[in-house]
Amino acid sequence: MTNLLTPIFAFIFQEAATSRGEQIIQGIKNPDLSKFLVIGALLFIIGVAGVLSRRNIIVIFMSIELILNAANLNFIAFSRYLQDIGSVNAVAGQVFTVFIIVVAAAEAAIGLGIVIALYRNKETIWVDEIDLLKW
Amino acid sequence: MTLTGWEAVFFWVFSIAALIAGLLTIMARNAVHSALFLISALVSIAALFILLGAEFIAGVQILVYVGGVMVLFLFVIMLVNVGAEERGRERLFNRPAQVTTTTVLALLLAFGLVYAVNQGYSGLKGKNSAALTQVEARRAIEQQELSSAATGTFKITKDTERVGGSLYRYASLPFEIASVLLLVAIIGSVMLARTIKQEAAVDDVDPEELKKQKSE
Repeated sequence: MTNLLTPIFAFIFQEAATSRGEQIIQGIKNPDLSKFLVIGALLFIIGVAGVLSRRNIIVIFMSIELILNAANLNFIAFSRYLQDIGSVNAVAGQVFTVFIIVVAAAEAAIGLGIVIALYRNKETIWVDEIDLLKW
Repeated sequence: MTLTGWEAVFFWVFSIAALIAGLLTIMARNAVHSALFLISALVSIAALFILLGAEFIAGVQILVYVGGVMVLFLFVIMLVNVGAEERGRERLFNRPAQVTTTTVLALLLAFGLVYAVNQGYSGLKGKNSAALTQVEARRAIEQQELSSAATGTFKITKDTERVGGSLYRYASLPFEIASVLLLVAIIGSVMLARTIKQEAAVDDVDPEELKKQKSE
């Protein structure tokens, strides 16, 4: 048990060290690429939690939109980073984001069509009541 | 790539707004409230795109997501949620064990991803530090070269021009495939959402089947 905890304590103390603390304040004052990536990761996790825990199929679709947007945020952040380090074709991330938005729109249209057909046949939008394929 | 001054303030405001709106999206009892919170999350993310210098994508995000997809969502919610009031007391989430597992998984993912991002970024920063030191100077030169807007107080960015050029130069085949995908999505959703009576109107239902439906 102690062996397991040692690296965690070491990590926490390292975080609390003064130079590290100054770095964190600097990071809050001047957010860089990593902050955007963290926000994208947190949005992705919120979306995953929504997909796994909600019963309403429409809210599950909305969580999927949130997941796709988190991916978009990462693409745009890296596109800006590549522009800053002077890469050729640095806007490729933005071009890919356009395609993600197209696919998300198509997915929403098809998915909501399925929801309407499902509601017409089964009169429910709770996913745990849609169990035709469960043996 | 660092944001300074007001840009940093706006970054924190909009990113915290996006996270809170995202959390409320998956926790709201009423699906309409969920949709409205998702709209505010998407608008906040569009603001983050502007901070990152992707004005075109931010505009597309507002037009397509908020103007198109979310209106479609609201339509479907209102089509499907007939009598939501009387079912308002029903369970919102899955079984408690499932929700607990989800929460634990989400926390683990959060710690893992944040740690991995920070580790990876420090490595990346070390690798490209030489190029990153000249960013400010190069950005200033680029700002000078931009043409000014009609009022004379703003500069017109080259972002849309660059995205368009890259889209047609390097991604013209995916662009065409995306148009076919949209066509398939239109036809598919119309096919899925129509009733048996509407299908009968174009003669692709067996008359016997239709008679059986009517008699029910």
